[in-house]
Amino acid sequence: MVQRLRNWREWELNPIVVKELRQAVRSWSVTGMLLLFLSVLFCTGLVMILGHALDVHANQRLGANVFQAFIVILTFSSLVFIPLYVGTRLAAERQENNLDLLYITTLTPHRIIRGKFFCGAYMAVLFFSACMPFMAFTNLLRGIDLPTVGFILVCLFLVVCAAVQCAIFIACLPVSKLFKILLGLGGFIVLNMVSGMLNAIFYTLMQSGIVSMSGGVAGVHASSTFWTGFATAAGVILAVVVLLYYMSVALISPPSANRAFALRVYITVVWLLSGILSLYRVSISSNSELILPWAITTFFLLSGALVVVISNNDELSVRVRRRIPSRAFLRILAFLFYNGAAGGLVWVALLLSLTAMVTMVVLDSRPSGWRELAAGAATVLYLFAYALTALLIHRKFFSRRPAKLAGILMVFLAGAWALLPNMVLFFLGRLTTHSFDTLQPGSIFNVWLARGFDSVLLHLNCGAAWLLLMLVLNARWFLRQLNHFQPVEAGAPAAQPPPAPAPPPPLPTVAAE
Amino acid sequence: MKVQVRNLRKEFGKTVAVDGITFSFDSGHVFGFVGPNGAGKTTTMRIIATIEEPTDGDVLLNGISLREHPELARRAVGYVPDSLPAHADITVHEYLDFYARAYGLRGRKRTEAVSAIEEFTNVTGIRDKHLKALSKGMKQRVSLGRALVHDPDVLILDEPAAGLDPRARVELRELLALLAERKKAILISSHILTELTEICNGVVIIEKGRLLETGTIDEVLKKSAPRRTVAIRLLDPAQSSELLKELLLTPLVENARPVGSEVHFEFAGSEPEACDLLGQLVARRFRILEFRQTRADLEDIFMSVTKGGVQ
Repeated sequence: MVQRLRNWREWELNPIVVKELRQAVRSWSVTGMLLLFLSVLFCTGLVMILGHALDVHANQRLGANVFQAFIVILTFSSLVFIPLYVGTRLAAERQENNLDLLYITTLTPHRIIRGKFFCGAYMAVLFFSACMPFMAFTNLLRGIDLPTVGFILVCLFLVVCAAVQCAIFIACLPVSKLFKILLGLGGFIVLNMVSGMLNAIFYTLMQSGIVSMSGGVAGVHASSTFWTGFATAAGVILAVVVLLYYMSVALISPPSANRAFALRVYITVVWLLSGILSLYRVSISSNSELILPWAITTFFLLSGALVVVISNNDELSVRVRRRIPSRAFLRILAFLFYNGAAGGLVWVALLLSLTAMVTMVVLDSRPSGWRELAAGAATVLYLFAYALTALLIHRKFFSRRPAKLAGILMVFLAGAWALLPNMVLFFLGRLTTHSFDTLQPGSIFNVWLARGFDSVLLHLNCGAAWLLLMLVLNARWFLRQLNHFQPVEAGAPAAQPPPAPAPPPPLPTVAAE
Repeated sequence: MKVQVRNLRKEFGKTVAVDGITFSFDSGHVFGFVGPNGAGKTTTMRIIATIEEPTDGDVLLNGISLREHPELARRAVGYVPDSLPAHADITVHEYLDFYARAYGLRGRKRTEAVSAIEEFTNVTGIRDKHLKALSKGMKQRVSLGRALVHDPDVLILDEPAAGLDPRARVELRELLALLAERKKAILISSHILTELTEICNGVVIIEKGRLLETGTIDEVLKKSAPRRTVAIRLLDPAQSSELLKELLLTPLVENARPVGSEVHFEFAGSEPEACDLLGQLVARRFRILEFRQTRADLEDIFMSVTKGGVQ
């Protein structure tokens, strides 16, 4: 690090950023969009000011009105165009049969994803700086103060960066072009909703101004509430962005790399930090229910993680096996965090169990929550039962198919089990709203619809029995995975020392020969 | 740099694209990689270039496993695909500069390396042109420049001559000869076998993902086509019938026949035995103007060892 700081003269921009920005400034889509955006801003401003000039009454909020119109235009253009541009380009480079050769250079997956992200961020800066004079001008028209303008722009910039990272993640997914387009369309709808929500929040901010919202007028309490809310929202967005970043890096890393490690470590660290923060908030507010957002988020996050971990290959690559520690304690830790479905299952089970324990301890004084806890436990048992069933089916019947099929099977099983009984009832002409909330053992969604504590307990027992059966049927596989999680034998040929990473000398000129 | 491909296997679902092939080549060698369409050539090359990961087996570069250290292998390998990815809005110079940056070249070293490569591949005159505006031949030069920008020891070329005009082919051949002189280990696939015979000193023949033949051209020729065709031109064509009779009585000679003013026959013996035969014929007072032997070329071997099967 110190050496790098000393060599600051040799610092260079990320090559991906250089290339992408060079291409962006030549791209008709970027320049066209920028010109269109500025034209729309100019025309909107002109129309609004001319409209006001014809009004005999002085409008003390003209600046706020114009700014509101500007921010809607900026939100839509930057929140939709920039992620779309970055995502489309990356998706084109990642086409399975025509992978861009930059992925076989010595650039690490981290640098590639960072480069793509910073390219999106730079483009956002380009758009924001282009509209800055318009935004600052609204301050002269009255009705909005400069700190509010700055705060709103900073918030919007952060959301645009988050959207860029989402687009990068979708582009990296190993799915067909059609599926990516569908995901992109879904993302477009979500972004429009986010855009609407943001504009509503910005409108509220503009009404009172950032200074009064943050305590200038409302006092210290309002200040702390505002900044706590802002920090929480910013923290959650940041955590999601970093999670998507690590997931994107894992997706573009070679399958033989230890793709799971960074992701599992990151999720564990975020889970731990957010848990500590939640407990701290519970302790200072004496409101035990403040633990629930953490517990519920953890549940959903790890449910998704469960689908991913069972999609891991059983066979560890030599690259991963060479990094398995020989000391028993470290090896157990590595088993949880390295590639592999078995270790992943234990890791998810461990985090979920600890979350459930902490939540139960915190909610102990609230007996009314037992039904939810039982339903939560039944859901978790079902999740693991589905996961192990999918692994068993994959292993027994589709062992030559890719490991990701197990994850797809898990989702399919859960969906089929929820749909099939209702489809049968539909064809028998007996489907009613009542049939949805009567007991359907094995259906993960029915747990939360079923009426009465007894039904939930039945689900709990059913989930436990099913999981037990699956644990027995998968026990040999699990033990085999555990036994195979060993470093490469001492007798195996070791890799030779790598060549010096110094940049190669240029080829001599031979054109004249 | 020694490249060893060991028991390489690649499956795509139920399809076995590459089925346990093993071969090796070394610095200064130009190895032709031939096989019918769908034989697994591109898959093998993509594995060596680290685009694909093998299902089994490995590729060793000077003993360093490509599966274990793909990032190190990338420093040592330059890959030229059959077509240049369609980058729009980027010039030749920027494209090469980007790859020089991507391979970790910095500052003046990068500038010098890019300039040297532009001159070597003779693209200096078009360095400010956009990639999409280039002809196929020029694109292939840029692609070669991109693969060479980090001065790799191993060069993998997948159908580099496809779609090139005769002039561009000759120029490409000259470039490859220069690179071989610079001790690069080169693996090149092509369907134009006559061209490969001219530039390669080794060959790997695969079909249906399986290795059929490998070795230096001479070794493969000896192994796959042990017979040679010998043509004799006599000063006096009237001796032809007498020569035919004589040849029919000579061991190791088969299929003697007159072809125009010459007599052709298949000779199964070694080169010293061919020499003895010539001496024997001269001793029998045949006035021989020309004694010419022609071996089967790569095309003949390819046709004899492959069956044209695809997967």
